[in-house]
Order: sequence, then structure tokens, then C-alpha cells
Amino acid sequence: MDSTPISRGFTSRRQELTSKNRTPPGQYVTADFPVLSAGPTPQTKVEDWTLALQLGGSLLRKWSWAEFEALPQTTIKTDIHCVTKWSKLDTTWRGVTFDDLLKAVGLAAPPAPYVMAHCDGGYSTNLPLADLVDGKGMIVTRYEDLPIPPAHGGPARLLVPHLYFWKSGKWVRRLRFMEEDEHGFWESLGYHNYGNPWKEQRYDGD
Amino acid sequence: MTVIEASATPPRRLAWQLAEVREIAVETPRVKSLLLHVPAWQGHLPGQHVDIRLTAEDGYQAQHSYSIASPPEDELLALTVELVDDGEVSPYLIDNVRAGDQFELRGPIGGYFVWTIATEGPLCLIAGGSGIAPLAAMLRHRARRKDRTPALLVYSSRTLEDIIYREELETMAQRDSNLRLVNTLTRKQPEGWTGYRRRIDKAMLAEVAFPPEQDPKIFICGPTPLVEDASRFLVELGHPFPTIKTERFGPTGGLAS
Amino acid sequence: MTEISSELFLDGNAAASLLQEIFVPEITSAQILCDACGFAGSVGSLRVYAASMGAVLRCTRCDGVLMRAAHTPHGRWLEMTGARHLRF
Repeated sequence: MDSTPISRGFTSRRQELTSKNRTPPGQYVTADFPVLSAGPTPQTKVEDWTLALQLGGSLLRKWSWAEFEALPQTTIKTDIHCVTKWSKLDTTWRGVTFDDLLKAVGLAAPPAPYVMAHCDGGYSTNLPLADLVDGKGMIVTRYEDLPIPPAHGGPARLLVPHLYFWKSGKWVRRLRFMEEDEHGFWESLGYHNYGNPWKEQRYDGD
Repeated sequence: MTVIEASATPPRRLAWQLAEVREIAVETPRVKSLLLHVPAWQGHLPGQHVDIRLTAEDGYQAQHSYSIASPPEDELLALTVELVDDGEVSPYLIDNVRAGDQFELRGPIGGYFVWTIATEGPLCLIAGGSGIAPLAAMLRHRARRKDRTPALLVYSSRTLEDIIYREELETMAQRDSNLRLVNTLTRKQPEGWTGYRRRIDKAMLAEVAFPPEQDPKIFICGPTPLVEDASRFLVELGHPFPTIKTERFGPTGGLAS
Repeated sequence: MTEISSELFLDGNAAASLLQEIFVPEITSAQILCDACGFAGSVGSLRVYAASMGAVLRCTRCDGVLMRAAHTPHGRWLEMTGARHLRF
């Protein structure tokens, strides 16, 4: 521990806003829903929206908006945790689970161990498939019963609430299965490759 | 004081230094200026900012950027802080800090949003709320040097009581026929107020701003909507984009940390 | 909705602290050339996104990413593949 001078009487007001069992270490609870983006908000219309599943060089399946909305829908209520330290409790989302996505393509099991989510605006994030199946991951289109606003990732975004929220890529358009892991946008800039908030895996090296 | 050359910001590594609060000035009900003594301070250019870092006893740290409100001619460094209710740093600086307290500071930072009397052309400053701080550094520098560059400040505040440095700015303008001060009060105006009563808009700027032919150097600082609007209006009025420098405060009300 | 979008970015000098930890000469007044569209401007005039996670500096003309930076407890990261050059 270095001799960083203590600021007399300074305490974190945010640390008072924790909910003991529900907030991972270092997080504070907010009633807001802060918007954080790596670029301008894409304004993709649902008429133009498609979601593609890719394996190797080939396209496994591409859904239009109408086709995607016709898939089995699941609603969940969950907590989300951003690496910038805010947590938001009891958020409600609706969309398609990854399990149902794979079923729709006729796959009983994930065809590869990793996936890269490619998003409008150029954002990307990588995940192990094991963290998407068994109800752990979804592609969501509704937040609190309304279409997700563009600033929060609409028309559709990934939702993987057990990991830091940068893994829940906004504006997802393409899921590329990978035999070997590759780094996405933040993972290639010093952020943790996995991102478990309960182990405070914020940065590469944590 | 030594001559300041706008192009000569010496290259150096940013390092944290200890700043000591010497004086605290109450500017408005929600705004205070902290006057700091920073030993071995190497000087700064009007418009630059510093980072402040606070450390709690348990090691928790919070950081925030603040524009330097004092000119390089002054001995103490002035930071003007507005209370942001759910902020991490400003409530401490406004409610807790006393003279004699110390905290970490590093800077000066930023060579882009800078003006000195060595720059040619009229000076056009547009501020909203606490965005006045870096622009005050520019005007105070101009005044200390008794410079006569034509200058204009358009300053948007909610009420008369919210005008930061009100008396100082009025006095500065009274003593200097080349400095025009245009206040606009957007929420409430005192009786007999003859000034503007609305947000800065294109018509207002068309009335008061230096025309593009005079090649003014333009600095806009304040909340994002004001900065966006003002810069758009000025471009529409014919000012080239590179002559307009902006510093927008993020949603937290200050520079991002 | 435009209002929300424009709250998302700050000016280049918001990234100044982060970048100045890496660069020795003053960075915000440096000129940068966009590799995608050829636009030239000062780093201070760029749009900075995601300032709370680091800095993503984008071209004012084409929105292409010119620089990305992050400061983590384990080191500082800088990527500049979108810029053809920086001139100090």
C-alpha cells in the first residue's frame, strides 16, 4: 500500500447504496439507467433488421424481424452490473433465449465453444457458449414491456446478466461461432476476457 | 510573471501533486471556488484543467476534472465547483472541505481549449452555468495583462443569483470598453431586467456575436445541449467549424473523469 | 432521441488526462489524420465516447474510430489503427 494521502472526511456516498447480497463487490445500486456507448447510436429500423448465425465461413441462419419475433419469447427479471460500477436491480427484459435460438436452427448443442457478437456501429464482444446456454443468455427486444430504445441497444441486444454488462452487446446483428476465442472491442483494450462481476473481473489481469 | 507562449506547453509526464486549500469563496448558493496552493506548480494556460483525486480511509478513490478558473498570473490556483447532488466529488468539495485540507491534483491538462493574449482575433466566449470557469481564466488573463483584444462573453444562467463571478465580470466590463458582457437569465429575471430572458439562440448570437469576417476565436463551455446548440448556430451564422472550440460537460455536470 | 445521442460523447479534451498519461508532448493540440476518410483535425476536436471506460475517439466527419485508450490497474492501453498519423 503506497502512501496516497487520505482526504480528510471523504467517504464514498455510493458505497452506502449497496444491497448486501445482490450487489457484486465494488458496485453501487442506481435507479437510473446510464447510457454508455462506444460510438453514435445506430438507428436501425426493424424493417431492415436481421440477425445472422455464422459458423466458419457459412451462414447457418438469418432471421428477419418478423421471423425473430415469432420465435418462443421469454421474459426475465434480473439484475445488471456495469463495469463502471453501477448496478441496476430488477430489470425486466423479453426476448429469445439462446437455447431457443439453437433449437430453431436444429442444433441440440452449441456448434463451437465460443461466439463473437457483432453489432451495428462496429461494437463486438466475445463469450463462451457455456455462458449463453441453459438460460444464461438471451437476445432481447423489450425492456420493461416496451421496445428497447436505440440508446439502450434497440431494436435488439444481447443480455447476459451474470457477466459485466459490456458483454451484453447492444445492437447485436451477427453471432459468429468460433473454435478459438478472440477478443472483442473492450477485451482487446485491457478489459477482462470473461468478466464475472462476483469475482470483480473488470480488467485483464484481475 | 514570465511571458506565456501559447504554443509552448512544455512536455512533461502528468504526476499527482498535493494541493492545499488556502481559501474558499462562496460564489452562488451551489457554487464555491477553492483557492489552492500547489507547490512546484509549473504554470498553466487559460482554459486548461486539472484532475482532482480523493482517497477515503478505506482506500476508496474518486476522481474528477475541473477547469482552472484562475489566470496564470495569479499565485493561487482557483477551481470553481458546482454542487452536483448525486456526484461523488463535488459534494465533498462543497460541503466538507475546509481551508488547510489537502488533496491530490494533477495538471495542467489540455492544450486544445486554450486562449492567451498572443492569439490574434476577437475573443468570443459562450458559457452556461459552471462552464464559465475556463472562460473566466481567459478573461482574467486578458484583464491582468491589460490586453485590449475585443472580447465578448455571452453567459447563460438560470437566475441572477446563479451568475458566477457576477460582480467581478460586471466590473471588468465597466472598466473595459472592448469587453462586452451579455447575460441571459433563462428561468427567472429580477424586476427591471433589460437583458435577455431566454436560452441562447441563433437570433441572440446574430445580434451580439462578432461577425465571421472579423475571424473571432470562439470558445463554448457548459452543459451539452447549450454547447451543441450554440456551436450549431454559429456555424449557421457563417463561422468556420475549426474556429469554434467546445468543452461540453457530461451528464455529471463537469468534465468526465 | 437525438438529445440522448448527443449526451453520449464529449469533446477530445475529456480524454486528455487519459491520453496525456501515455503521450509526452501535449496530445489534444496534436493533428490527427483519419485513415478512413482523410479528415484532419486536432485530437481535442474529436468526439470522445465511453469516457467512463476509457476513451474512444472518433472522426468528426466519418465517425470512424481513430484512437482507443484505457487505463486499467494492470497497465495502459492504446490502439491507433484508425489514424494514419499524429503530428505534434
